[in-house]
Amino acid sequence: METLGLALASLQLLAAFWLVAGKRMHSHISAFRAQAVLLAVNVGALGVREVLATGRPDLLVVCAALVALKVVYIPRKLHRTYAAIEYRIEKDFLANIPTLVLACVALVLLVYAAVSGLGASVSATRALLLVEALSVVLVGVFFLLSRRKAIGQIVGLLVIENGLFATGLYASDGMPFIVDLGILLDLLTAVLVLGVLVLHIDDAFETTDTDRLDGLKG
Amino acid sequence: MELLLWAVPLLAVALLALPLPRRALHAVSVAESALLLLAAAWTTRTVLLRGTAEPAMPGNLLYVDAVSAVLLNLVAAVGLAVCVYAVGYVEGEIRHGALDPAKVRRLYLLMHAFLATMVLTLTVRNLGAMWIAIEATTLASVFLVGFHGGKPALEAAWKYIILCSVGISLALVGVVFLNAASKGALPEGAALDWPALYAAAGSGALDPALLRFAFVFLLLGFGTKAGLAPLHNWLPDAHSQAPSPVSALLSGVLLNAAMYAVLRSTAIVNRALGGALYTGRALVALGVLSVATAALFLLTQKDYKRLLAYSSIEHMGLVALSAGLATPLSLFAAFYHMVNHSFTKSMLFLSSGTILQKHGTREISKVRNLLRTLPVTGPAFLLGLLAIGGAPPFAPFASELNVLAAAFSAGHPILGAVVAVLLALVFAGIVQALFRVFFPKPEAPAAADAAPAAPSADDAAPEPARGEPNRAGAAAVVVLLAAVLVLGLYLPPFLRDLLVRASALIQGVPAP
Repeated sequence: METLGLALASLQLLAAFWLVAGKRMHSHISAFRAQAVLLAVNVGALGVREVLATGRPDLLVVCAALVALKVVYIPRKLHRTYAAIEYRIEKDFLANIPTLVLACVALVLLVYAAVSGLGASVSATRALLLVEALSVVLVGVFFLLSRRKAIGQIVGLLVIENGLFATGLYASDGMPFIVDLGILLDLLTAVLVLGVLVLHIDDAFETTDTDRLDGLKG
Repeated sequence: MELLLWAVPLLAVALLALPLPRRALHAVSVAESALLLLAAAWTTRTVLLRGTAEPAMPGNLLYVDAVSAVLLNLVAAVGLAVCVYAVGYVEGEIRHGALDPAKVRRLYLLMHAFLATMVLTLTVRNLGAMWIAIEATTLASVFLVGFHGGKPALEAAWKYIILCSVGISLALVGVVFLNAASKGALPEGAALDWPALYAAAGSGALDPALLRFAFVFLLLGFGTKAGLAPLHNWLPDAHSQAPSPVSALLSGVLLNAAMYAVLRSTAIVNRALGGALYTGRALVALGVLSVATAALFLLTQKDYKRLLAYSSIEHMGLVALSAGLATPLSLFAAFYHMVNHSFTKSMLFLSSGTILQKHGTREISKVRNLLRTLPVTGPAFLLGLLAIGGAPPFAPFASELNVLAAAFSAGHPILGAVVAVLLALVFAGIVQALFRVFFPKPEAPAAADAAPAAPSADDAAPEPARGEPNRAGAAAVVVLLAAVLVLGLYLPPFLRDLLVRASALIQGVPAP
């Protein structure tokens, strides 16, 4: 079980790097979906174990919700939004890709140092899991800040949210059930809100380049 | 009875979703906020009598103690003033053609959903649920920020939701680690339960290393939402672009709700670590940084709504640094200042809405003869600006004095001196704006020669007619201003009691 967890966590971090290294929006969305699949497998495995041990299906419900939202609904919605505005979007990154990847490696090292500071409060395996999950969060923040297009920023936010979910899972063997569901619900609303805003912004500026959102200063 | 706190906003949101005529929408809105204030007052009474209000319900989800009671009353009182003001404001906007009558229902629905999420933030027992409620405040208010449409409003809404979502994500990491730190220390089913966590912190059952880790994320995350530097960029845009009643809610109460989350987290960490050294340094650093940032931007503002927004950053910074000092006096000052800032700032934003409707500009230099065009709102705005700048005898002066006294008496003379200088700068910035509005320089002939087109265009614009367009709104503004004046001279015993208890809770000592 531990080996499986570590493998899945590492793959999720790998997916985050795939995200940063990708050039096209479709590859960003695929990276996000792959990460969501890994997360769902992870939650599902823990869920099966919990059903066998205690008979509580909480985590399996969360797993089903994850698959429905993050693996099916949200990527589809993103592809569709992108298709509607695609012809106006070209490349969308501030620095060249190797620089971005190197910066992300530095972030992972930073997280490793910070988690090492926790010392004996967490077991060695758990510390490794936390490093992977927190790195996904920070890589997501970094990705978000390095994008200029609104839709890229949404993908960044979704990846942050994936990392958060994994952090919750590893830090405490699953957050209280109600909080998990609340997070998923928030995520859904956030995507709807963001989606609507992107389309409005698109109407108003005829591009989703947020660098051009610079009328408000000082 | 306390359950009304949840029932009333829910019912109002349900009613506002129905296709009602405009008069009925106004009536529901005002009635809801009045009932909410009554419910909040009743809850406060229970808190004063018993220490907490925990009505019997499945799961015991609702929990109000002194800290939440203080802020809950602010939400309800400012909410009522805003709803009374909104009636005349909405009618005025429709008359000017700035608001489509068909969108009134949406405005009210979003506004009351926003109020409901803030009440929820302040009254849930579970810190995880509190986190969800804070995220919900962002989602409910983002369309309010972008309500007017158009490039600047959408830009502000986008910045708002992206930065606050990043902030709230970081806060969630904090909540996760808080949960991890309390693993095994809490009774079954009480994960993230505030009273249980607080008790466990007192008995030293929480893991200190994990708590410290959690606090960094909680402070950065919730601090973003509270408008603390360095992640404050969204605030001036959102607060200046939103319709004015919404700005009053954003500045007057939403910032407090976020600060509430910061204070709750601080309380647990202080209590568990047996001192405020760790949290104090971080809070004071962010606080001073916020006050300094705001002071610089205040000096160069050309837009009076942005001026008010930067002043909110300054005041939240003061609250944070005062809370960071963590003496009984400084925590009292922090809560006192939150109350004063809330009343003063909402009153100013409401006045700015009337001024914007009357003069049609947000630029400080283009608003002229305010005392003549708006015989009530004009003088109120003048006095309000003096109050928010920290002039006696208004309440913000009293609480700022308390903050400074707390800094000096806690043995931080350099900090106290720095803050005093920054506050003087802030005062200078605000008074400078005030002079430009109320005592404009006569047009210099040389300047008129150099740029003949601009002044003549200004002269050509007719001065707006004299008179208050929104009488009920002006009355709400005056009542808020009166409250600010009274609170500066006299603190009612029940409020003092409540503030003392709230500061004792955050400091982690039993209430006297």
